[in-house]
Amino acid sequence: MEPVTVVYVITAVVSIVTALVLVNLARLSAQARVRADEERMKNLASAPASEEVPATDIDKTIFKEISSVVDSAKDWEKISKKISHIISSELDKKVGAQTSHIKQQYETLLEEKAKNEQMAWGKYEKVLSEKKETEAVIHSIAEGLVVVDKNGNVIMLNQAAEKLLGSGKKDKIGRPIFEGLKEEQLVSMVKSSSDKDNKEIELISQHNDTKKIIRASSAIIEDENGQTVGMVSVLSDITKQKELDALKANFVANVSHELRTPLVGIEKSVTLILSKAAGVLTENQEQLLSIAQRNLKRLTLLINDLLDLSKLEAGKMDIRRQPSSISKVIDESMENLYTWANTKGIKLEKHVQNSLPEVNVDPNRITQVLTNLIGNSIKFTPKDGTISIGACLNNNALEVTVQDTGIGIPREAIGKIFDKFYQVGERTPSDISGTGIGLSVSKEIVEQHGGRIWAESQHNAGAKFIFTIPL
Amino acid sequence: MDNSAINVLVIDDESDFRQLMSFWLKSKNYSVSSAPDGASGVNMLKEGQFDIVFLDLNMPEMNGVETLKKIREFNKEIPVIIISAYVDRLKISEVKPYQISGVFYKGEEFDKGLALLESTLRTHKKLKK
Repeated sequence: MEPVTVVYVITAVVSIVTALVLVNLARLSAQARVRADEERMKNLASAPASEEVPATDIDKTIFKEISSVVDSAKDWEKISKKISHIISSELDKKVGAQTSHIKQQYETLLEEKAKNEQMAWGKYEKVLSEKKETEAVIHSIAEGLVVVDKNGNVIMLNQAAEKLLGSGKKDKIGRPIFEGLKEEQLVSMVKSSSDKDNKEIELISQHNDTKKIIRASSAIIEDENGQTVGMVSVLSDITKQKELDALKANFVANVSHELRTPLVGIEKSVTLILSKAAGVLTENQEQLLSIAQRNLKRLTLLINDLLDLSKLEAGKMDIRRQPSSISKVIDESMENLYTWANTKGIKLEKHVQNSLPEVNVDPNRITQVLTNLIGNSIKFTPKDGTISIGACLNNNALEVTVQDTGIGIPREAIGKIFDKFYQVGERTPSDISGTGIGLSVSKEIVEQHGGRIWAESQHNAGAKFIFTIPL
Repeated sequence: MDNSAINVLVIDDESDFRQLMSFWLKSKNYSVSSAPDGASGVNMLKEGQFDIVFLDLNMPEMNGVETLKKIREFNKEIPVIIISAYVDRLKISEVKPYQISGVFYKGEEFDKGLALLESTLRTHKKLKK
């Protein structure tokens, strides 16, 4: 055989064998990529050993192929051996390289996995400690805290809540909050008031008739879609506060009597002397007694206003509503103040919309409000001014206005004038009209009627007081 | 005007106000007697001749309501004007069934009390006729 022919044959056979080997290698590496765990890796690592069987097949194939193209048995045996050797060393090299690559990849993978595990564990530990911290905070809050799900069943409650409700966590979790109260009996949800999120709950112990009043301030818990998922309530024991309120109310009532009694005595005595029922007075005596009388009246007004305010704030003021004509109420208030307005040369005008319906109010209290407002206007309106009192319907409410041509209210004062004892400007000692709480009393009265009161003014352009009473 | 023929009884535990009332009524020429508590007031009414009674509502021991009940046990006719330091609607509603002629608040002007006294006496006189 020509040496050239031998080279051709060898080249052809090597190509075939290389192709076969590469196919095999591709299969091997694909398998290696997919299998990530160690066990499988071991199998892969031992792949060269298992390849010996196919390698023997390859030997046979080489032998067969070469024998078909080479005549000399000696030559083809030699060629075959050489090829086999080349292939096996190439194969070893390739498999070795591939194995170390896969091993490296696997190790990287393992490392990453360990890192991730460590990170996850770290996070878990952090969350766990945060959870414990939050729980510790919730448990140590002095106020009772209860979380309920959207069906009103308790999910969580702290020790203070357990104590307040007189039952343990075991009895509460997964049940409605007020179900099966052990010691206490739910008497009533006293007040929902205007503030919907605040409720007062009265509990009376069955054993010793002691009463416990709990205030629950609640907030709805919503998920990111705005769906209600539950509610969190803070429970506070306001029994003591309520007792104090009651004491205060009682104190006010007692003081009311105790303060008025001596005042009445003094005022009546002075009046009797001034009426000359006890004999003739000199001009000086009369003048001095008049001062005493004026100041007594002022003190009486102040005490009455203070008591009214305390009563209003405590919700103890008797509001006796009856269908009333606002026009008549305005007339009465104006009558009370005509003399005072006249002495200051101030004109009182009335502008009431025709055919106003009767409103359900306490006419005496609304007269008190109007007297306060008109009196206030007289005080701050200079000579020859005008005060107009109006009433009309606006947005399903009765709107009453008192507008003057006085000095107006400075901008910085307009938000404060309804505060207790707030006085705009100086007051003269002879001015018996102002106690500094008339507007606070008026505000309370209007609000107890469900209405609103406010003032509008531009400095030096008069003031306007408006209040509304819902129909 | 000579009111000396009219006998007024003032029942009030508060001595200052009792004296003031008496002084004021006397200055209007009425004949005035006074009692410091309900029980002695009732006794005086039983024993003497009176035309009208001023009765304080708030008194210790026997209060105005109880005193009025006792008075009505033996005298259904005598006009009684209630005196009260402040507007106590609840207590006033308690005395109303026992026939009262009006309420005079201590803080009010004496003139208002006088008007009430005079109109009560007039009404009572007409009724008697």
